Amino acid sequence: MSEQPAVRTSDVWKVFEHDGIAVEAVRGVTLEILPGEFVVMAGPSGSGKTTLLNLLGGLTQPTRGKVWIDGADLTTLSERALARLRLERVGFVFQAYNLLPVLTARENAEFSLLLQGMAEDERHRMVGELFERIGIAGLEDRRPAKLSGGQQQRVAVARAVVGAPALVLADEPTANLDSATSLALLDVMANLNRELGTTFVFATHDPQLMERAQRLIRLVDGAVALDERRSAPASP
Amino acid sequence: MREGRWWRIGWRNLGRNRRRSIVTASALAIGYFSVVLMVGLLKGLVAEMVDNGTGIVTGQVQVHADDYLPDKEVYATIGGRDGADVAALVATLEADPDVAAATPRVYGGGLVSTGTATGAALFLGVDPEREPRVSRLMQSLVRGRQPVAGAYEVLIGSELARTLEAEPGDEIVVVAPAIDGSLGNDLFVVAGVFHTGLVDLDRAFALFPLDVLQSLIALPPSRVHEIAARVPDPWLAAEAAARLAAELERGSLPVAAESWMTLRPEMVEYANLSEAMEWVLMVIVFAMAIFGVANTMLMATFERRYEFALLRALGTTPGAVVRSVLYEAVALGAIALAAGAAITLPVLVWWYHAPPSVAWLFGETTLSGALMRPVLRVEYPWLMGVAAAAALFGTAVLAALYPAVRAARVAPADTLSGR
Repeated sequence: MSEQPAVRTSDVWKVFEHDGIAVEAVRGVTLEILPGEFVVMAGPSGSGKTTLLNLLGGLTQPTRGKVWIDGADLTTLSERALARLRLERVGFVFQAYNLLPVLTARENAEFSLLLQGMAEDERHRMVGELFERIGIAGLEDRRPAKLSGGQQQRVAVARAVVGAPALVLADEPTANLDSATSLALLDVMANLNRELGTTFVFATHDPQLMERAQRLIRLVDGAVALDERRSAPASP
Repeated sequence: MREGRWWRIGWRNLGRNRRRSIVTASALAIGYFSVVLMVGLLKGLVAEMVDNGTGIVTGQVQVHADDYLPDKEVYATIGGRDGADVAALVATLEADPDVAAATPRVYGGGLVSTGTATGAALFLGVDPEREPRVSRLMQSLVRGRQPVAGAYEVLIGSELARTLEAEPGDEIVVVAPAIDGSLGNDLFVVAGVFHTGLVDLDRAFALFPLDVLQSLIALPPSRVHEIAARVPDPWLAAEAAARLAAELERGSLPVAAESWMTLRPEMVEYANLSEAMEWVLMVIVFAMAIFGVANTMLMATFERRYEFALLRALGTTPGAVVRSVLYEAVALGAIALAAGAAITLPVLVWWYHAPPSVAWLFGETTLSGALMRPVLRVEYPWLMGVAAAAALFGTAVLAALYPAVRAARVAPADTLSGR
């Protein structure tokens, strides 16, 4: 029996209305992303990367077509069930507005665990280990305003992976970072992919990230123009 | 997620824009202060009216023969022609737990004359020892001294004294129809002049020692028209009157025990109107506050729409987002209430103990027939203080409801993409 995809789409379309004009942001995308894959979706601005990422994570519903995460059809789920699914099976890293400013680094990282009702000791232990692993140990009690951009993104990565979700979706995670910090963050995510088997799907322009991709999906005008699996590992 | 974390988030969010939170909380606190103080003043007005309306003459409870009111026939004494054991009746009234003191009274009417001037007057026979424990009429003495029991002495109102051109020490002739059909008359010495501020009293009342007036109108000592009682908390008078009526009924005397609420219905009507006004006042003040708080909460939630989108993206349910905003509003309400109470309590205590005079604005006046001193008196509005606190929280939560629902409806994908 073949392995169940972490996420799968079938002829997915997303059409936005702008001043009465229909804009096809995603056009008929059919994909299967397997557990443990390190996937990069690349393409020029307006190619539909972010929209497709949002569709994969259940942040928006397709105009047409189907999306499955771990076999669950997102188009049939209620708002509440979708929220539950995102909580338990999807991690997100965004380009900006990633952390809640009123929470400390630890509180941000353990947020999904908290929503899941995990005990405090267990949360602290898991976040502590993860912070150690990704190089931000000691920053647990700092608020986001007291963290650098790179540190903030690491906390966001920690939050995304700490609950061991089926996949982590990252939208331009390195866009606001300098080259060295980007590289370090990529190392963190590549290590997590290799060591924990976490599935990563990125939307990015970043050539450094594209180089790391095990699988590169190039989007043009909302459609898949290239879907290339590479032999090179994601590890640094 | 345990609710405690949402509370913590709500609390911390208040600290992000402290100036705005302080201004909003201040608006609510001032609303609370205004409502409680204004209600306190309204209650003070009613208390002043009831205190003076019942305290100067009426008393809080009166016992009469059951046919005495409303005509006040001079024959209709307690116990009829046989009279009653007045001392025992007084003792019965004073045995009630809410009654502080009781005193017998006799009423009559007739003419008073100094020889040069004559006037009609209502005569009130009082026990000079007991009466001051029930009413303040005798304490309103402005000239002369109190009459002595058994002496042919009289206290007259200031307006009546002016009409008669009589002063303490002067002699006046009193003529009164007696119950035996004769015309009682005698010479009295003006012991003193009282001034209550109530024109009707000051113009028409003359106070005699009880036994002397009984003698003048041919009433034996066992016959009195009224036993008045003082109930220190006037609002307990109706219950006390009901208890006394039941007690006196057991003695087979055909008497009626009535509280000031029955005797002075106009004051009850005013008190009811005032109480309705208290609620109207509270609704108006907090209804105005709702719009101010809602505006602030809308701004605050709009500024944080990315955070709400993030919360939704991370798997927070819309209901949890609503609760997080509402908890923030409740936290704001708690701060506002603490500030409001911190302002209100000391001001109320100070005001209660030192009510400011407004004699520069107006003099003594009357309300529903009761004398009102020119002071701004407040009463502690405990119930309304609690109600206003609940209204403050209600205002904060209601004002936050729409912003909270909007926050929960933030589309995470569109918002995080900047659409």
